[in-house]
Amino acid sequence: MNTIKLSHVLPQVFAHASDLHSQVWQQEVTFEKGRKYLIEADSGMGKSTFCSYLIGYRNDYSGELLMDGRSAKQLTVREWTELRRRHISYLFQELRLFPELSSWENVQIKNRLTGFATDAQIDGWFERLGIADKKEEKVGMMSFGQQQRVALIRALSQPFDFLLADEPISHLDDVNGNQMGQLMMEEADRQGAAIIITSIGKHVELPYDRHLKL
Amino acid sequence: MVWKLLRKHISVPQFVGFVFANLIGMAIVLLGFQFYRDVVPMLTAEDGFLKSDFVVLSKKVGTAQAISQRSLSFTPAEIETLAAQPFVDKVGQFMAAEFKVDASMRIDGKQVFNTELPLESVPDEFVDVLKDDWSFSEDSALVPIILPRSYITMYNFGFAQNRSLPKVSEGLVSLIDFDLHLRGNGQEAQYKGRVIGFSGRLNAILVPQSFMAMANQRFAPDAEPSPTRLMITTADLSGESINQFLEDNGYEAEDDRLNTEKTTFFLRMMITVVMAIGLVISLLSFYILMLSIYLLVQKNADKLQNLLLIGYRPSQVARPYQLLTIGLNVVVLLLALVVVALVRSHYMRIVEVLFATTSRSSLLPAILLGLLLLVVVTLLNMAVIRRKIVRIWHGKERM
Repeated sequence: MNTIKLSHVLPQVFAHASDLHSQVWQQEVTFEKGRKYLIEADSGMGKSTFCSYLIGYRNDYSGELLMDGRSAKQLTVREWTELRRRHISYLFQELRLFPELSSWENVQIKNRLTGFATDAQIDGWFERLGIADKKEEKVGMMSFGQQQRVALIRALSQPFDFLLADEPISHLDDVNGNQMGQLMMEEADRQGAAIIITSIGKHVELPYDRHLKL
Repeated sequence: MVWKLLRKHISVPQFVGFVFANLIGMAIVLLGFQFYRDVVPMLTAEDGFLKSDFVVLSKKVGTAQAISQRSLSFTPAEIETLAAQPFVDKVGQFMAAEFKVDASMRIDGKQVFNTELPLESVPDEFVDVLKDDWSFSEDSALVPIILPRSYITMYNFGFAQNRSLPKVSEGLVSLIDFDLHLRGNGQEAQYKGRVIGFSGRLNAILVPQSFMAMANQRFAPDAEPSPTRLMITTADLSGESINQFLEDNGYEAEDDRLNTEKTTFFLRMMITVVMAIGLVISLLSFYILMLSIYLLVQKNADKLQNLLLIGYRPSQVARPYQLLTIGLNVVVLLLALVVVALVRSHYMRIVEVLFATTSRSSLLPAILLGLLLLVVVTLLNMAVIRRKIVRIWHGKERM
């Protein structure tokens, strides 16, 4: 998939808001494969809403969202599944890990689906993000910052054209935040993929191609 | 791994409750059906040895006739009138033996029983037996006989039961030859008798007409045949005209067939009620299962949603639950079939003695019905689960 285009998209909750000054909502915006975007927003501007539109979790908007020119509202369940497996990887703000599984299992539950990464690769990622000793630990027992790193590894365990990360480093110190940013960059570059990162303040330092204010 | 994730919140007591309730319901439904398939053929069994569409007519016995000794036999004129009726295809006369017949059976030279037998015959065209079996020749001296089935029942329940004698079946009786001793007109003769079949509809001990004609000629040459019973074949058994005719002439038809129909009707009604109860229990248990699954899916809704969001298909997520219900349903079916087989083996023993016959029916009806129910219920289960998961996909279930 090469482009995600928003054409006058407006969440229904903002339908009656008159003083909307957004560079995304009600605008023509195109996200292209291979580029890096930072979307900054104040709280309540629909940051997570934006992400949930892109992965087909919600569609309560007016306007058109076009995936490679196809209207997102017309995609079937099967097509969305395919999209979530192969084209858009999403690092959820609320992580959506399974607390009763170990961090290794949390990654494998995705990787078995895609068959994308080797065990050695995943081991390497755990190592780089400094949680190699937490592989067998239940995710429910880990700190939020550690969980954010597990969630990133899970997000990397699939092929993607767009890596969508919703406040990925909110609970990390700068060193760890930069580590994550580096890893995201490397993997995205390796696949020629785009990165779309949202933030309400603290954000990953990357050579962004475009800043957007939501 | 998905299973590991989703099996949490499974309530074992709920599923045990379902299995138990559904087992009861299923067993009742299958048992009712099986019982019906086992017993009704025995009740409605056509006599293999007689044409099926016949009616036996006799004159009504009233007090007046008993006192006046008015003849109960049909005159040739009456028979002709009857034969001329539009509803009558064929008329056959019962020919009774006008001589004395004693039947006796010996085992190891010891006489087991000795009784006088009222033999009768009907024209061969009313008897549906292979010609070879239903013929008599002077050379062989073997007389084929058709007995009323009630004789065996009478023996088994009225006699053998009380005297702790072994019960006999049709097959067994057919294997025994007995001696027929004929006397009359100053002559005596000895024949072998062999039972070749039983009739549930004719209350007569039948022998071939050729034998009867020969024997009457020989042992009672002067006797006038005076049939007291006639056999007619008719296409329209329950027609208005036939009833009117019988009424006008003071004849009556042996309504054995009507009795069977009544019995079958009541049996059918009873079994329908029983099966309906079983079905209701099954439905309720199905409801329990659906509720448990709903609850389970609901409790796991957030996990299911997460799986869907990271790229699992609704069908993949639904599969563990579907397999679970299929497994439970299969277990229930197997248990129910075991119950049916056990109960059936018990009642078939009674039924077989009661009808003095061995059944050729099998457990197949219950198995087929069970499989049918299994398929229907399982498809329904799968559809419901699938629907629930799709609702989660569309974010319509609260998490």
